[in-house]
Amino acid sequence: MAATAAAMADQLFAAPEGSKTPSSDLEKLGAAALAEAGKYKASYCDIRIVRLRNQRIGTRLSPERGTNRTLAVPTVAEDSSFGFGVRVIVNGAWGFASSPLVTKEEIARITGEAVVIAKANASIQSRPVRLVPVKAYRERWETPHETDPFDVPMAQKLDLLRSVAEEVKKNSRVFGSVATLSLRSEDKYFASTEGASIQQLILQIYGNLDATAVDVQKGISRSRSYTPTQASAGWEYVPEMNLAENAMRIREEVVEHLSAPPVKPGKKDLILMPNHLMLTIHESVAHPTELDRSLGYEANYAGTSYITLKTRGERIASEHCTFVGDRISPRALGTVGFDDDGVMTSEFTIVDKGIFRNFQTTREQAAILGDKESHGCSQADSWATVPFQRMPNVYLKPGSQDTTPEDLIAGIDDGILIDGRGSYSIDQQRYNFQFGGDAFWEIKGGKRGGMISSVAYQARTPDFWQACDGTAGPAYWRQFGTTGDAKGEPTQINSISHGCSPTRFRQVNVLVTD
Amino acid sequence: MLTKDEAQKLANKVMGYSTFADCQVSVTSAEQAYTRFANNGITAAAFSLRHDVSIAVTRDGCTGVYAADDLDDAALRAAVKKAEEFAAIAPPNPERLEPVGAQKFPDLPAFDDRTAKARAPEMIPHVKTIVDEAVKRKLVAAGLIERTHRLSAIANKAGLAGFHESADSQLTTTIRMEDGSSSGWAGQPSARISEIDSAALANTACDKCLRWKNPRRIEPGNYTVVLEPTATGDIVRLIGSGFSARSTDEGRTFLSKRGGGNLLGEKLFPEYISLRSDPLDWRQPSVPWTSDLLPTRPMAWIEKGVVGSLAYDRYWASKTGKQPTPGLGGGGSGAGGLSLELDGSDATLDSLIASVERGLLITHFWYIRAVNPQTLQQTGLTRDGVFLIENGKVTAPVMNLRFLESPVRLLKNTVKVGQAKRVRGLEGGLMVAPSLVATDFPLPSISDAV
Repeated sequence: MAATAAAMADQLFAAPEGSKTPSSDLEKLGAAALAEAGKYKASYCDIRIVRLRNQRIGTRLSPERGTNRTLAVPTVAEDSSFGFGVRVIVNGAWGFASSPLVTKEEIARITGEAVVIAKANASIQSRPVRLVPVKAYRERWETPHETDPFDVPMAQKLDLLRSVAEEVKKNSRVFGSVATLSLRSEDKYFASTEGASIQQLILQIYGNLDATAVDVQKGISRSRSYTPTQASAGWEYVPEMNLAENAMRIREEVVEHLSAPPVKPGKKDLILMPNHLMLTIHESVAHPTELDRSLGYEANYAGTSYITLKTRGERIASEHCTFVGDRISPRALGTVGFDDDGVMTSEFTIVDKGIFRNFQTTREQAAILGDKESHGCSQADSWATVPFQRMPNVYLKPGSQDTTPEDLIAGIDDGILIDGRGSYSIDQQRYNFQFGGDAFWEIKGGKRGGMISSVAYQARTPDFWQACDGTAGPAYWRQFGTTGDAKGEPTQINSISHGCSPTRFRQVNVLVTD
Repeated sequence: MLTKDEAQKLANKVMGYSTFADCQVSVTSAEQAYTRFANNGITAAAFSLRHDVSIAVTRDGCTGVYAADDLDDAALRAAVKKAEEFAAIAPPNPERLEPVGAQKFPDLPAFDDRTAKARAPEMIPHVKTIVDEAVKRKLVAAGLIERTHRLSAIANKAGLAGFHESADSQLTTTIRMEDGSSSGWAGQPSARISEIDSAALANTACDKCLRWKNPRRIEPGNYTVVLEPTATGDIVRLIGSGFSARSTDEGRTFLSKRGGGNLLGEKLFPEYISLRSDPLDWRQPSVPWTSDLLPTRPMAWIEKGVVGSLAYDRYWASKTGKQPTPGLGGGGSGAGGLSLELDGSDATLDSLIASVERGLLITHFWYIRAVNPQTLQQTGLTRDGVFLIENGKVTAPVMNLRFLESPVRLLKNTVKVGQAKRVRGLEGGLMVAPSLVATDFPLPSISDAV
């Protein structure tokens, strides 16, 4: 191995045509950690060698002060990060250390550091760490893709963003527009003392369009966004984002938003579109069913949960609500071949027709529950951070085949249709939440009316999901992604997908905001 | 961890790899050590070292940026080449200004070497102090102790060169009843880890947990509130983006005047409200340069209730004939955001409570998000201890509540400020903030959360 493996990251992670097993150079580096851990009599050791790349491209169109010109401000930036982290169990306690210098010698040294940390941690221990068994996989897995987004010429990306930002700005009442694309690539190698040797390539694409309108006389500034499905995919997905078509739509809607009257507050029925409800699912279903919260491991920051071990088998939502967790759905941000415990990913039921069934788990948590296997929810956001329980993709299953969004709207006398993401906030046990949105339309007498503004709804989670009385059929089911999910101390960031069809909720408390 | 000499040599070496006349390099080396605990035991601990070399090159107004953490010569040459390739493709940035030349940066207070080097032997005794206290009182402790050590070297081909090194630490703990029926919190950020008082934090959090048991449901509505310093900081620090001169001139902040212009020089707040940023305050590790790489300096954003300054970046200053300033945070606008301070007084928390006929005492807030970026209306929830105040005395624990309020209205409605200290909110915001009393604080709904 060369003195600086970092300079060889491209070669290390390169995939020979048709290869189904990890690179032998990576396996040799991984073996260095496992052998060193053996010298210290660690009961478990794993190593993750990770190369991360992020590319950020953007165009902002803003009026130049004192002229009638529009200035186009570009962003062209990329960063990369390469390093490794070693996790050990010694005397029943975890230890972790990491380094950006990927050499056999450094791997051995850092493994020793992790052992020292584990021994120190064992001095104050509530219960010794145990892991459920896992099959030893030797595999290579990639996000299905035709074209690596990093291989696409930068000029092509800039041209696309410039053209859609200009499309938004074609209405002279639009103050400014921003178009962005972010690309993420994660090469990851995982090896453990239990025989795992797994190499993965995860590719993700995030896009966004923003429009702003300002009425200086009235002192009002409003926005409208289009956030296409953020996806694990190759560049071939980008045309499916329909950026140009949606640029035309939001430039008209932002102007409409500027003069939209504020909502009249009170109890109202809601139709929540998938690009909005995905975040409500994220906060009020996906987070409270994380087992580490329920067990108190996140009590100091992210919080605990209203769902406890005793809640299994109890009703927490209406019969219209079946939620599944998975890390295998095509193009979902949480989809990988294996988690950071080396567990092959799968699908599992979280809530079945309103009845809570299963927590999200890691190998350690499954052992605490007495389960035979983990649900594959262990993840770290970089080589330098400790893997812990992160949510899978969580989906609300669609309703019956013949239910349309129009059917749901027709059953509302006084309500609101909410589209897109706005502000969001929920308490530390996931009871009380408040959500805004990106755009709102009044529903009166079973028909969608004009745009309104300044809407937020507040609810208590179990009451809200019990008030769900219908969700549209599979033809209307859409998946969306969120890229900034924060949890843990020090905080780690996760990207995840949630999907649903347009869904109706009865008599929710609606507020008027500033 | 790189040394000062290594970081500066690295910055110059990387600059030398670029064929562009306009090249700026930033080298960062950062260490972190921490111990997490929960359920009265350590759950995770780690040590990490990260490097970052960020290269920005510009030719004919076209800029490319590439950042890498590989310090190998070949990798750094490749990173420079990549940045130059991006610049060759990027369209010109019409808002870009000529690079700044040599600057005299202020000498910030020296970092604490003991904090910078602390590892498990220094941290674990603090964890033990807290866990022992919790176990003694039949309670359950969770928390985090961490320290960071960071150095940065900046350089460009126009003669700019700067170096800064800082260290910081914090200990926070949440203490809960064994049956989950109550919760108390305490936290202390400190530039000197030797000043962290784990025994005091354990007592505060345990006491709060025991006092908050069986909280009473009260009617949602507007209340007079006494905010402890962390609660004040949680909301007040979010005022930052409102001081952007550009956004204000464009009609998009609370300081924009209807019909055009701004509210600079107007008295919007009571005279005891003064909001400053002070990068020279040793309590708050900051950096000596702004995001425009100009020397930072203390700023008075609100002076005795009067709007004293707006934040101008170099570009907007050049368009408006003003001098550039440090930023106020909230938009990544520079050093001011790391050193925000709301002036306090000598008044104790007890004296603030004694001044309230009926109100609520709030420990801190959680999950605060902007509802309206223009008015700065925020929503979030109380957490880990809310108490009813009646006739100047704390009389009963009450259930958590959601708030819906802006820092602007909060400061306008403030009737008293107390003693100030450095605080760190749960979601990471740092500032020096006092306890305060404010009227008409909107709390529109109850939360069942403990």
